[in-house]
Amino acid sequence: MSKGTQIAVGASVIALLLGWILVTNSGGTVSFAYFQDLSSFQASAVDQIGRATRVHGYVVKGSIERDLQAMQVEFRVQNDPPHAGAPVGQTLKVSYGSLDTPDLFKDGAEVVLEGVLLSAGPDGVYHADKVMAKCPSKFEAADTTKAASL
Amino acid sequence: MSDLGALALRFALPVALLGIVAGAFAGVKRRDDWTQVAERAIWIVGLFVAIAMVSLAVAFANCDFELRYVANNSSRDMALPYRLAAVWGGQAGSLLLWLFIMMIYACACVAFQGRHNRTLMPWVTVVLLANATFFLVLLTFVTEPFEKLPPSHVLSDGTGLNPLLQHPVMLIHPIMLYLGLVGFVIPFAFAFAALVTGELGSQWFRVTRRWTLIPWLFLSVGIVLGGRWAYEVLGWGGYWAWDPVENASFMPWLPATAYLHSVMIQEKRGMLRTWNLLLIGLTYTVCLFGTFLTRSGIVQSVHAFAQTPVFQTVFLSYVLLTLFIFVAALVMRRGKLKSPNRIESMLSREASFLLNNWVFIAILLAIMCGTLFPVFTEALTDQRIAVGPSFFNLIIPPLALFLLFLTGIGPLIAWRRASRTMLRRQFTAPVAMGLVVGIGSWLWVRERLGSIDIGEVYGLLTWGLSAFVITTIFQEYWRAIRARVRKGDENPFQALGTLLRKHQQRYGGYVVHLGVVCAMIGFAGSILNQERLENVKPGSEIELAEYRLRYLTADALPAQHFGGAKVRLALYRNDAPVAVMTPEKRMYWLQDQPASIPSIYSTLTEDFYVILTALERDGSATLKLYYNPLVNWIWIGIVVFVVGTAIVMWPHPSTVSHPDAT
Repeated sequence: MSKGTQIAVGASVIALLLGWILVTNSGGTVSFAYFQDLSSFQASAVDQIGRATRVHGYVVKGSIERDLQAMQVEFRVQNDPPHAGAPVGQTLKVSYGSLDTPDLFKDGAEVVLEGVLLSAGPDGVYHADKVMAKCPSKFEAADTTKAASL
Repeated sequence: MSDLGALALRFALPVALLGIVAGAFAGVKRRDDWTQVAERAIWIVGLFVAIAMVSLAVAFANCDFELRYVANNSSRDMALPYRLAAVWGGQAGSLLLWLFIMMIYACACVAFQGRHNRTLMPWVTVVLLANATFFLVLLTFVTEPFEKLPPSHVLSDGTGLNPLLQHPVMLIHPIMLYLGLVGFVIPFAFAFAALVTGELGSQWFRVTRRWTLIPWLFLSVGIVLGGRWAYEVLGWGGYWAWDPVENASFMPWLPATAYLHSVMIQEKRGMLRTWNLLLIGLTYTVCLFGTFLTRSGIVQSVHAFAQTPVFQTVFLSYVLLTLFIFVAALVMRRGKLKSPNRIESMLSREASFLLNNWVFIAILLAIMCGTLFPVFTEALTDQRIAVGPSFFNLIIPPLALFLLFLTGIGPLIAWRRASRTMLRRQFTAPVAMGLVVGIGSWLWVRERLGSIDIGEVYGLLTWGLSAFVITTIFQEYWRAIRARVRKGDENPFQALGTLLRKHQQRYGGYVVHLGVVCAMIGFAGSILNQERLENVKPGSEIELAEYRLRYLTADALPAQHFGGAKVRLALYRNDAPVAVMTPEKRMYWLQDQPASIPSIYSTLTEDFYVILTALERDGSATLKLYYNPLVNWIWIGIVVFVVGTAIVMWPHPSTVSHPDAT
């Protein structure tokens, strides 16, 4: 058996397997876009109604309400990290249909929301299927850049 | 003490450079005295690096917060074992650990292989010292572990280690993983030395096979320990999420495993010489590349350290240079690598091993593409698009199933060409067993779940194929033992002992396969996973599968460097009380970071896993429950796997001497 045939046989086996995967999963969603910032999201809010999106923002302090009866969490997000004295700016109301919030989810936390905007405007509600929170204190981040530039 | 460490690293660098020159000179001029100089350079660099490692550990033990690295990764309230684990909790320390482990391997290599491989040794030392030099440069000029804070910045306490890393597994998981990743430098060095000297006979790969098994074993254990840590600490109910850093640890395992199989073809039939060298080169560069990915922050990951442009550029150049030099050497020697033999039939062991190699490489490529996808899309479209676990869960299982199938087939079909009667004799029982288990579990799962979709088909195929493979393994043992017992005066146990001693590679290999099959059975258990989120008041209950959970009380945790609450839950299985579970919600004060500590009730058939998502203001608890069947078989699998690898590597008096003989 020649080397060419060997390679052809191996390649066709793998191609068949991959082809089968694609055929059985056409229409599946395996990839996703990274998030948009809240301000750019809101700038084009009307176009985004009803579409699956990812939005990045910060939890407005004191806005978290856990509704134990309805098993959901409501909160607002703002575009910039909350500092004392800094204006909150335009916020977006978020309704998350689960009590399953991540550990790092709290007032002021940096969050990425995955879900659908139901309506635009000041009363608009973002319906989140998933809430991901990031650790606010990346102490090493600031530090090694400094070390590298020395 | 920390000055001593910094000094040791500074001294090590010129010694390493001198060693490279000595080794290269010895290689070109075939001067053994200069090889000995290079070997001594390895010992000296090893000693200096060990001094640096110890002095960093002492700085952590003594809470020497004058050092920026110690202040950023440790704090006084942490127990001593965790302060020591914090040595490799950040960038600089993990690079030093990498270098330290590499020097242990290098010294061991000089001590154990030096006598037998005088022609290869000069170039082996050059490769080892060149790699050490790179890390020494990084540690002295880019990320210094011994860098001091300006006196005005020195605080009385450090900022502490990330609480998620404060777990017993974290004391050994990084070391295991590094013993794995770093250890591939030895086979790489031998392969490169073989290419440079043109000594491409059986010598290099006999040495290399053994030295590949060692890091491969550590890497396997390290990967599984990482999964265990994720399962017990990260609190999302699973053990593997296709996170870039997990992928980075898994990627080198694939070409290494492929190599361990295909090298057998080279041993028996003298084929695949170029391919085997390529696999070794690939394994080590993928190790480096994975380290680069996760340590440079180029791909977002929970584990990634900060991005620094200098570090990225330097490290990526190093990875590419390593790959380039190796491939260049391979191309120059291609004339000497031609094999006299060819594959004669697709129904042969060679063919099945070759297919196995193809699938391993396909899995490697799939994982690499998935991990780097955001980097590609950003370069092409300015938008980072990531693929989630669903991508990997789509591509990998069918390939893994095919590998599982080959695991059963490969060892049973003959070299060169299999005959039909042989096939019937070998496969009747295993195929029957596979069908019985496959169809049986299909009926059982259908009754349990109502319907079956593609993910569940993967699980059922896994169980069917596992039964097939396990039967082949026991059939092999049974036939070999029976043959020995019939032939002479051995009883079955003696016969088993003889097999494991005299044919350790083959019969140990079967045990390794058995371990992998156990783990696969465990992975497939996920098709029956169930989860439930509930908010409960004290005294009320939640049901999931055959379990019932009653919320008893909530208590405050005794205050220490973390505070928080734990709830006590009574667990019933089919109405019989089985355990009291106590998931915790902790708050690490220093880092202002909360963490959920799950509580797990574990049996051979399933795990019942509870997370305290939140303790609400009204005293009710929001609990997340997971019912995870067969997870324990993954941990059992790795134990079996280690036993199998130990059988393969066990130095019997009859085999120890063979490197000399060739």
